[in-house]
Amino acid sequence: MPPDKPLAAMAGIHKHFGGVEVLRDVRFEVFGGEVHVLAGENGAGKSTLIKILAGVYCDFQGTIEIDGRRVRPRSPIEARAMGVAVIHQELSLVPSMSVADNLFLGQPLTNRGLVRDGEHRRQARTLLGQLGIEPDVNRAVEDLPIGTRQLVEIAKALRHDARVIVMDEPTSALTAPEVERLFALIQCLKAQGRAIVYITHKMEEIERIADRITVLRDGLWVGTAPARELPTPKLIQWMIGREVESQFPRHQPRPGPVLLRVEDFSVFDGSRRGRPLVDRVSLSVRSGEILGIGGLQGSGASELLMGLFGGYGRLAQGRAWLDETPLAIRSPRHAIRRGIALLTNDRKATGLVLSMSIVANATMADLARLSPGGWRRPRGEWAAAARLGRALNLRAASLGMEAGELSGGNQQKVALAKWLQTDPRLLLLDEPTRGVDVGAKHEIYELMNQWTSRGIGIILITSEMPELLAMSDRIVVMHRGRVTSQLSREEATADRVLEAAMGKQMENLAT
Amino acid sequence: MNTSERTPLRAIATSLGSPAGRALVALLLVLVLGGVVNAEGACFKLGPHRGMLRQAAVCGIRACGMTLVIITGGIDLAVGSVLALVAVSFSLMTIHWAWSAWLAAPLALAIGAACGGVSGTLAARLRLQPFIATLAMMVFARGMAKWVSGGQKISTAVQNADGTYRYVDVPGVFRAIDSRIFGDNLSVVTLIFLACAALTWIALARHRWGRELYAIGGNEEAARLSGVPVVWAKTLAYVVCGVLVAVAGICQAAQEQQGDPEAGMGYELTAIAIVVIGGTNLMGGRGGIGLTLIGTLTIGYLDKILSVNAVPEAGRLVLTGIIIVAAVLTQKRRRW
Amino acid sequence: MVRRHFTFLWILAIALFVGCSSGDKDATRAAGKARDFYTIGMSQCNLGEPWRVQMNADLKAAADKHPNIEIVFKDAQNDTLKQRAHVEEFVSAGVDLLIISPKEAAPLTEPVAKAVDAGIPVIVLDRAVQGDNYTCFIGADNKLIGKAAGAWLAKKLGDKGKVVELKGLMTSIPGHDRHSGFLEGIAGSGLEVIFEADMKWLEPDARKEMDSALARFDTIDAVYAHNDPGAHGAYLAAKAAGREKDIVFVGIDALPQEGVAYVAQGILSATFQYPTGGAEAIDTALRILAGEEVPKKIVLGSRLFTADNVKQGGEPL
Repeated sequence: MPPDKPLAAMAGIHKHFGGVEVLRDVRFEVFGGEVHVLAGENGAGKSTLIKILAGVYCDFQGTIEIDGRRVRPRSPIEARAMGVAVIHQELSLVPSMSVADNLFLGQPLTNRGLVRDGEHRRQARTLLGQLGIEPDVNRAVEDLPIGTRQLVEIAKALRHDARVIVMDEPTSALTAPEVERLFALIQCLKAQGRAIVYITHKMEEIERIADRITVLRDGLWVGTAPARELPTPKLIQWMIGREVESQFPRHQPRPGPVLLRVEDFSVFDGSRRGRPLVDRVSLSVRSGEILGIGGLQGSGASELLMGLFGGYGRLAQGRAWLDETPLAIRSPRHAIRRGIALLTNDRKATGLVLSMSIVANATMADLARLSPGGWRRPRGEWAAAARLGRALNLRAASLGMEAGELSGGNQQKVALAKWLQTDPRLLLLDEPTRGVDVGAKHEIYELMNQWTSRGIGIILITSEMPELLAMSDRIVVMHRGRVTSQLSREEATADRVLEAAMGKQMENLAT
Repeated sequence: MNTSERTPLRAIATSLGSPAGRALVALLLVLVLGGVVNAEGACFKLGPHRGMLRQAAVCGIRACGMTLVIITGGIDLAVGSVLALVAVSFSLMTIHWAWSAWLAAPLALAIGAACGGVSGTLAARLRLQPFIATLAMMVFARGMAKWVSGGQKISTAVQNADGTYRYVDVPGVFRAIDSRIFGDNLSVVTLIFLACAALTWIALARHRWGRELYAIGGNEEAARLSGVPVVWAKTLAYVVCGVLVAVAGICQAAQEQQGDPEAGMGYELTAIAIVVIGGTNLMGGRGGIGLTLIGTLTIGYLDKILSVNAVPEAGRLVLTGIIIVAAVLTQKRRRW
Repeated sequence: MVRRHFTFLWILAIALFVGCSSGDKDATRAAGKARDFYTIGMSQCNLGEPWRVQMNADLKAAADKHPNIEIVFKDAQNDTLKQRAHVEEFVSAGVDLLIISPKEAAPLTEPVAKAVDAGIPVIVLDRAVQGDNYTCFIGADNKLIGKAAGAWLAKKLGDKGKVVELKGLMTSIPGHDRHSGFLEGIAGSGLEVIFEADMKWLEPDARKEMDSALARFDTIDAVYAHNDPGAHGAYLAAKAAGREKDIVFVGIDALPQEGVAYVAQGILSATFQYPTGGAEAIDTALRILAGEEVPKKIVLGSRLFTADNVKQGGEPL
């Protein structure tokens, strides 16, 4: 049972950006020993609220109490000193520095001005040991798997003895075993009486770990309730303000002729040594069909799509046909010209140019067509972006806004808009709903239905099993670069997919 | 709603928040400085303004080229020495060999383009860091300038085979470039600068290639995966920068009536300063020629004010440093 | 990452290779030693200035007249440590005589002294070293030249007028001497310096400063620039303002292709030669090698070039 006094309490929080009010009279309380999920669609104000708590924004109205004391953190460092630590989606570690150096960055242990490296390493080992991992603390953070990096980040929070630990979509890049390890750790932190504020878009995670849930919508506080009083349908209703009939609305597909056929397709890593990233994969997609690719991290699915799209240049080899004409793709330019589009799995790193406007992003892949003779037609671009924005239900104050100012779901829509503008025949979607809120997810599913009904073929990669099972007409499962199973919609179950993803070869490999 | 209150005051405040607005504030501050420290009224005469426009023109042309490169997230350290190489070559062709300007000018531009092409190829295709690629070009072009000129200025005093000198006339093209029009009020170099700025502005704002440069500077991988011809567009940025530097080199030679192999020392830094004061982001992806135009005026006026007041060199360096920092601080994007 | 490192190493390797090979060649050439053939080492501090390029050219021209001497040139590229190394290389190569135009006095005093101790006569050109452990110093006097320029200008303008002074770097000794000498030269006359500015020896800067002076003062009678390019830049500025006819332009250095050319073309009214001493250095070197006594210090005379005498090669001051 949580104690009666909250560890951290925020009340009457208002916050403006320019003339736009993003938080209005929001309250939020978190007790020691609980996992408090902060839920809401993208743009609901979750991140802003957390940034206020963490001292990133200090120009707000309202009050913050930590341990019953009125505080007003003016910088992340001050907030950390008050016991609030935030583990961001983008980790705040210095990639080239060692684990130990990262843990003591900013407040090194010193002896007469000299940094005590040995002591750093010893304490780092102890700290990480408490989290149940034993990495080499001398290794550079960039050499560690992403899941371990996350744990290092948590260790950093513990080193500052943070009592309120905020985790902002911590599992978005983790593999299944890593997620398990993280959840075990969260239980352990809970038991120590710390408060965990957890932000996620994954319903299954909320069901698993939430003790209490606070929902925000459009900058307003919708409600706070214990998790058991808030089953998924009701939660979704709170979040988007209306009921959703079905979470995954896949229509009856009407597959047409074979659109893409791939035989013996391989992708080698840069050094050309070792195992290929994609190893002699053969598959086909029909027009109007969604082909799902399942697999764990390192399955090579993303590399397969990137290779088909020409992103690997000459490192990708194999035969492919689009519409029964041979496909020799050496660069994304070729691919786009042939009507292939690739939505990458990381919109910030490889999808969007965050410093450019929505219009510029949405038209980036189709500039050649939109600019006859090389000269741009700003009005035409604006019209195209507006049309796409309406089709995708994009929510933005202006199409001239920088993409970086949008929420995650709207950013994803801009990335999608960019590809729709090219009028593709084949859409390669790599994690199209990653970091996207429930409402926007639903919209993206509906869009996928629309596109397939127009005869577009889709290859879908997703790490969310329900999404894969529900949206795919056919599923191919990959493990370490190879296809281990092909399943029809009826055959596919979570168990079967998972088995194949873990490397169990299936007999029925015939298409 | 707050957003609906559109008072004039708020409109001004909003426009001051834009990069161009902030760049203008810096320029305005420098102008106010000139009004206060006006060297016995000299700043209110036409002369200093006219002179400033002429002097700033050559810096501005270089800065336009630098803007293109910086928008891609690169940098071109070779602008000063390529300028010297072009100035020397152009003087050699027009003064010593008495070639027609119609032949010499395209050749001089081609030299600039070639230098830019090499830098661009190193930076874009071979993926050298732009800093290193253009550093190499900076040293190389300076060496070429000295080699071509034999270490001497190429002037109207031409050395005969026996070591004596004969004097030739200043070529007509030099006089044409260094003349003024509109009742002696506007230097031709200023016009050339405005033309260069207009062309680069059109390319950046209205041509596909310009948009591609912003995309590359903002996120090169995303640009590549969106079908932007990254290598080509980037190389072209360096080539165009080289051509603009060549234009500046021709103007400089015309104004000095000679080609000096030592010309342009430190010009890369002034060019970067102009671009940055304008508000173009050194990390790439943000900025523009309009900003560089304002930056050119800011630096130009600052220079002029210090010069008219005959401030000693030491004081000028200190003041310029302070004002660069102040200007860039007013530029700083507020983060949220 | 790896590829980038490789590229960098390549550049480094090539640079080292080029550097080494040129050094070797100098050394082997300097090794040939015979009684009727002398090798002279010449350490130039910086070939980036036309005046110093001229100095080397003068040395070479003078040496070419004597088939029994050969000069090996080294350029320290404005780097004191490099010049020091060059002197040491010359000593170890065993040249018969060393000519040095040092970048700075203090750091090069000791290497010069070591050369003298090793039995190599040393002629110091233009800039001095400290103490007296060298064979002969040859140089001109900037202060005298500045004074002569001041006196000439006072006479030319009839003892009254407004002067703009465009200075070289005031942190450099020549700039300082040319300034103070000029003030001495105009002392007592009615000449008045109304505007002075650092143009850093650079023509574009001189033109900029002159633009400002022209904007500020309606009457300017003369421009005194610390070097000829400076005077030329000022002329171009005045010409652009249509005021070049009213102004007397005076420069210093009188290099054949700069100051002398400008006087011949009617751009400058006068230029004062700052002699390189190249010919004198070879003369002196031959006397030293022949075993004659030479004076410890030779002050070079300057020459004045005006429109009247430029055809005859100027006249000595």
